[in-house]
Amino acid sequence: MIKFHPTEQHLVNYVTGDLTPAMLMMVGAHVDMCPVCQEHVRDIETELANKVLFASIPQIETSSADLDMLEQIMAQPPQAGSTPRPSLPSYEISLEGQRFKLPPTLGRTQQHIGDWQKMFGQLWRAPIQVGGDDVLTLLYMDKHTKVPEHTHKGREATLVLNGVFNDETSDYRDGDFMLLDDSVKHTPQTRDHDCLIISALDAPLQFTSGLSRLLNPFSSLFFK
Amino acid sequence: MQAVIETRKRNPMSSAQCDDAEHAAKLLALVASEQSRQAFSELFRFFAPRLKAYATRQFGNDQTASDLVQETMTNVWNKAHLFNAEKGSAATWIFTIARNIRFDFLRKNKHRQHDLSADDLWPVLDDASFVTDDEATLDDTVLMQQLALYCEQLPPAQRDVIRAIYIEGRSQQEVADAFDVPLGTIKSRTRLALQKLKELMISDD
Ligand SMILES: [Zn+2]
Repeated sequence: MIKFHPTEQHLVNYVTGDLTPAMLMMVGAHVDMCPVCQEHVRDIETELANKVLFASIPQIETSSADLDMLEQIMAQPPQAGSTPRPSLPSYEISLEGQRFKLPPTLGRTQQHIGDWQKMFGQLWRAPIQVGGDDVLTLLYMDKHTKVPEHTHKGREATLVLNGVFNDETSDYRDGDFMLLDDSVKHTPQTRDHDCLIISALDAPLQFTSGLSRLLNPFSSLFFK
Repeated sequence: MQAVIETRKRNPMSSAQCDDAEHAAKLLALVASEQSRQAFSELFRFFAPRLKAYATRQFGNDQTASDLVQETMTNVWNKAHLFNAEKGSAATWIFTIARNIRFDFLRKNKHRQHDLSADDLWPVLDDASFVTDDEATLDDTVLMQQLALYCEQLPPAQRDVIRAIYIEGRSQQEVADAFDVPLGTIKSRTRLALQKLKELMISDD
């Protein structure tokens, strides 16, 4: 059961395409995993379609330019029937011999996912290049792995793809979507489960405790 | 042509409007099944000016707005068979096509190297996504039964590899380990088996 969802505004902006590429991927992947948000998205699409397409418009007479366009379109032979492309049974990514199922939004854009790199401890990352200023990253935490306490100069969006992780406030499971800002200081960690997440950052992490502060000069290497 | 369209305006078929969801869906079905010019003209007359007003608000540029209308309505004409009334109304479908085209227009203006295409994010016109869950299951079942028959015709060593990979979903490395043979052997068995299956399928048609 998914506990954490994107806001209504995120979903509206997802439907219209008015989010950063990284956030479109994050929200899209959550929607893939979340039947509740799928239904919201359908409702928002319907609502926007009605607003846009059934609004009364001042000039509704078809002009001759319109009629030219109509003729031009119908002069093309329509494509009858469908030619289904060979659909993969499911999208997957592998790391260290393990295979993880990817939500379709990530699966369809798999060519944007870079190679896995091992970071400190049992933490792995793979960058996802989608353009825009945010940094989109796949992160894998093995069991009993801790990301040192940190805060965010900007905003961090996190989506759990597979597994469980905890921070000081809650535990997060498959499909959970969180948005944190610089008011939150946290220490994500795994216990008896490993965890694959995807995260979007608009600024590097700031590590806040003890020796891990030494990581700050390098955190942009890890996360941005 | 003008005269013909004028007559159509008074066609009794047009008494229902495209803002009636059932009527619009029926028109799309006619475009899909018999490439009905009359049905498409009616859809066009209703939706094109509205799309134009929307696109003009979005882009503030008349030419770009017209391009969006043309691309959207071209997709409606070409891809009407992909409309699925169970998933939503005709208006919603047309709106999502326009949304995708708007997204790609904006993206192309920015010259960004790694950008996502609208189809990656929202596969509205993806034939594969058109398949409803029931159909997918049915197709899968039929296909699977047929494939099972073909697999019986493979040499046992190849058949076992195909089973392990495609039915049990194991990786080639896992299969190599399980059968205690080199990975290269599994790869070549897979390749030969797929080639053989392809021949069987083609010769069967
Ligand atoms: Zn949700």
